[in-house]
Amino acid sequence: MSHRPEPRSTRRLALTISILSLAVFLANASGCGSGENTPAPAVKSDSESGAKAKTAGTAGESKAATEEEEEAAAKPFVLGDLLEPFTPPSLEDVDRTAEWIDRPVLSGAEILRKKQQDKGPPTVTAEQALKLKNDYPKNKENNDIILNSVGRLAPADGAGVDFDATFVRHVSGDLKSTNPIMISSITEFEYQSLAGFGYLGFDQELNYFGSKDSIVSWQMSKDHLIDKIVLRDDLTWSDGRPITAHDVKFTFQVIMSEAVSPPAVRQGIDQLKWVEAYDDRTIVFFHKAALATNTTNIGIPVLPKHIYEKTIAADPTLARSAEHSRLEDHPVVGGAYELVRRERNQEHVVRRRESYYMHNGKQVRPKPNLNEVRVKVIEDVNTALVALRAGQIEQVELRPEQWVSRTNDDEFYARNTKVTALEWTSFHFDWNCGTPYFSDKRVRHAMSWAFDYDELLNTICRGLYEQSRGNFHPTSWAFPKAGPTPFRQDLNKAEDLLDAAGWKDSDGDGIRDKRIDGRLVPFEFTMLTYQSETGIQTATLMKECLSKIGIICNVKPTEFTVLTDSQQKHKFDAAMGGWGAGTDPDSNSNLYMTNEGRNYGQYSNAQIDELFLQGRREFDRAKRAEIYGQIHNILWDDQPYTWLFCRNSFYAFNNKLRGYNFCPTGPYNFDPGIFGLFKPSASR
Amino acid sequence: MVHYLIRRLLLGIFTLLLITFVVYALIRHMPGTPLTTDPAMMNPSRMPSPEDIERRAKLYGLDKPWHIAYFIWLGNTLQGDLGNSIPKNNAPVTRLIAERVPATLMLSVTSLLLTYLLSIPIGLWATVKSGSFAERVVSTALYMLYSMPAFVAALYLQLLFYSRLGWLPLFGMRSDNYETLSASAQLWDLFKHALLPVICFTYGSLAYYSRFIYANMQETVRQDYVRTARAKGVPPARVIWHHAFRNTLIPLVTLMGLTLPSLLGGAVILEQIFSWPGMGRLYFEAIGQRDYETIMGLTLMFSILTLGGQLLADVLYAIVDPRVTYN
Repeated sequence: MSHRPEPRSTRRLALTISILSLAVFLANASGCGSGENTPAPAVKSDSESGAKAKTAGTAGESKAATEEEEEAAAKPFVLGDLLEPFTPPSLEDVDRTAEWIDRPVLSGAEILRKKQQDKGPPTVTAEQALKLKNDYPKNKENNDIILNSVGRLAPADGAGVDFDATFVRHVSGDLKSTNPIMISSITEFEYQSLAGFGYLGFDQELNYFGSKDSIVSWQMSKDHLIDKIVLRDDLTWSDGRPITAHDVKFTFQVIMSEAVSPPAVRQGIDQLKWVEAYDDRTIVFFHKAALATNTTNIGIPVLPKHIYEKTIAADPTLARSAEHSRLEDHPVVGGAYELVRRERNQEHVVRRRESYYMHNGKQVRPKPNLNEVRVKVIEDVNTALVALRAGQIEQVELRPEQWVSRTNDDEFYARNTKVTALEWTSFHFDWNCGTPYFSDKRVRHAMSWAFDYDELLNTICRGLYEQSRGNFHPTSWAFPKAGPTPFRQDLNKAEDLLDAAGWKDSDGDGIRDKRIDGRLVPFEFTMLTYQSETGIQTATLMKECLSKIGIICNVKPTEFTVLTDSQQKHKFDAAMGGWGAGTDPDSNSNLYMTNEGRNYGQYSNAQIDELFLQGRREFDRAKRAEIYGQIHNILWDDQPYTWLFCRNSFYAFNNKLRGYNFCPTGPYNFDPGIFGLFKPSASR
Repeated sequence: MVHYLIRRLLLGIFTLLLITFVVYALIRHMPGTPLTTDPAMMNPSRMPSPEDIERRAKLYGLDKPWHIAYFIWLGNTLQGDLGNSIPKNNAPVTRLIAERVPATLMLSVTSLLLTYLLSIPIGLWATVKSGSFAERVVSTALYMLYSMPAFVAALYLQLLFYSRLGWLPLFGMRSDNYETLSASAQLWDLFKHALLPVICFTYGSLAYYSRFIYANMQETVRQDYVRTARAKGVPPARVIWHHAFRNTLIPLVTLMGLTLPSLLGGAVILEQIFSWPGMGRLYFEAIGQRDYETIMGLTLMFSILTLGGQLLADVLYAIVDPRVTYN
């Protein structure tokens, strides 16, 4: 056996070098790869807009990657350059003209504690409740008993609380950023609820209040165009510097800077005209318009100005420079906990910060119950459950199949319990009204009549979920007093509606058809669905139902990015999807208002558009409820979606934990949320 | 030999350019962009405005035609900058890859060493004992191992060694108190965490390699020169090791060369089950999130390793087989 070397090929060599040279040439000609000597961008003063000039830091370590980046690097960084010019009036003028209305300044824990006291003492002790087996959905009673007794908060004086306790919890996605304005995923929002500084909160019913731990007053002008907040004077960052109104204004301006690209926090905040810090404690928010939704816009995640004013100009991405990389792992925080360990893709640990609740040697805020929160990243849900059962982690969000079949044995209950609660997350079929199939509302109604809800709820959903009754959850204040009756399968009605809409089997092939623009179009469409078991089974059930009335539905399980891309570009016939709820019913406006971003199905109804606008302009809760009730009923009548089911929260907790409660968005996304959790000192 | 190496290197550069160009074209033509499934887009209350989406797309160069974007990527890469991951909050791709290398190598190198250390003796032993009852039992066991999916084995091993016996940890690389441990205790801790993943990584390839060696040896021991060696009275062990096995090494070397990229390839499902921060999960996530920069960084790395592995195999040929020359 012999191996001959390949023949020498000067042409191939030349071609290789040519391509390499061409690549380098084009790359350089495109202006990419700016190299080590990228000049530090200067900071431009924008006196017109009132934005203050900031000092430039050292040049970022990374190289500008694209033409734009190089242009951006050459362009001076201007703080708040997305803001319209505005000269704020003096504080005296604001106070004189505002006719202030006081807004509530409360503590989430106090609100919940009062609510629990009003219910009266629990029927059984927590220890007794933990011996019960939660057999929901057969029986809801034990679930309520467990929540009512184990969910009780610790007394205000902290008696019986193990303040040295560590809570080990599970998340399925890693913490991508510790920077308050770069957050986008649930893990980051939850991290910020522990480590971030905030001055607004909302309770279990999603009602906003000013946080007593951070502010002394919150007022709103009578015309709803101005909010004023006065911070407490005992707030400090974890490096000992005071938290001031200037930090809030600075962060607002950072968020409203073109070169900064916050993934999720600009929306809403961009509806503010201006934020002014009149002194260290007084912040005034100027709104562009008087809207009921303005409150949600003034909750700005806050950066320490004394840190970032030195670094932002050199690296507006807030992630690439050496200093920003360092701050990612060693952030200066204003919240109750500080990051003490971060092992990417494995875990992060936050520890209670003494300077949060102690000031000048005196306790000024309630001491957080938990000493440490250790957050473990475990992607595999089965591994997470095994770890919970063995006591290695203390909380897991359960999958429906885990709730039904893998958490009922004595071994599970020896260390844990499980609870379920209502969640405002609903699933639906989205009909693309821009297609010839679903432009007619009679067809959309026919789809809703054709579906077998009993099979969905009892078999696919294992009896765990309730049927959805439309856009708003029946427990929401926005749900109409006379809410719609849910659909039940009625194939005759569905067929009548299809006949009326002109979809009949004219050629006798068993498939309904209709002449559109002179062409006979068979009723055959594609249903996109996400790749989970429930999604595929639900879409397949619809296919089976429709095949009984002469419609072909091709089910296409689709990768999530492709599914989302198809929906955003309206390139689909029908798709299965689901939405969670925001704190205000207006957050659903971009699902149904004409040409809005999440209105994938191209639904359009001028009345709905007008009502959502009215809802924003109305401040009286009762009148708003009427408006959203009308929206709900009109949407039900139009059926842009076939609403399917509402998914509940399902969680398992270690028996040592107490004080877990739920709001419509889960156990942590409200005040007190995770701050309500504690371990009794007896459990040590 | 030097000329040969230079030619191979130049050909390798050309191949690299071609691979990266084609992969870049493919990923840029996949539906969606890194911004499509940004959690912000899914948030009911915080969905970015169309202007904001456009601004971000421009900021990240997503508004450029793909071929221009490719040459921008290439230009930066030639200067040592693999770019930043958009879905991972602008984290530098080099850092993302570097973070995963130690964990990935810990599993793959250990697994590879174990595979060779065990499969060669098993393969040779099976050759010597070919047809015996013991050899058939071992062969059957190896076939069974080879056909058992690693993720199934992982779950059973977890249940046995973690849930039932409590001997080994369930997931992750380190215990919570790792920092407080002495150096030897830290090593022991890492060993315990890596043991189950290493077993799952290893047993399939162990079965494959040992059968591979056995099959090749079966062919080799029937060759005339082996028979001649035996007839001349060479001891059986020397016949197997010195005469037969050396010839079996040639296809084994090819396999070894091709193993190089898999050292950093990771394994998506096993990494997920054991919460092991390896390269497989990074690649998998990057594809799902349309994380162009990370996909390209990893593609480049794997391409270099593949080409380097092939070159290494060719060089090793010359070492193990004196008949092979590149002059």
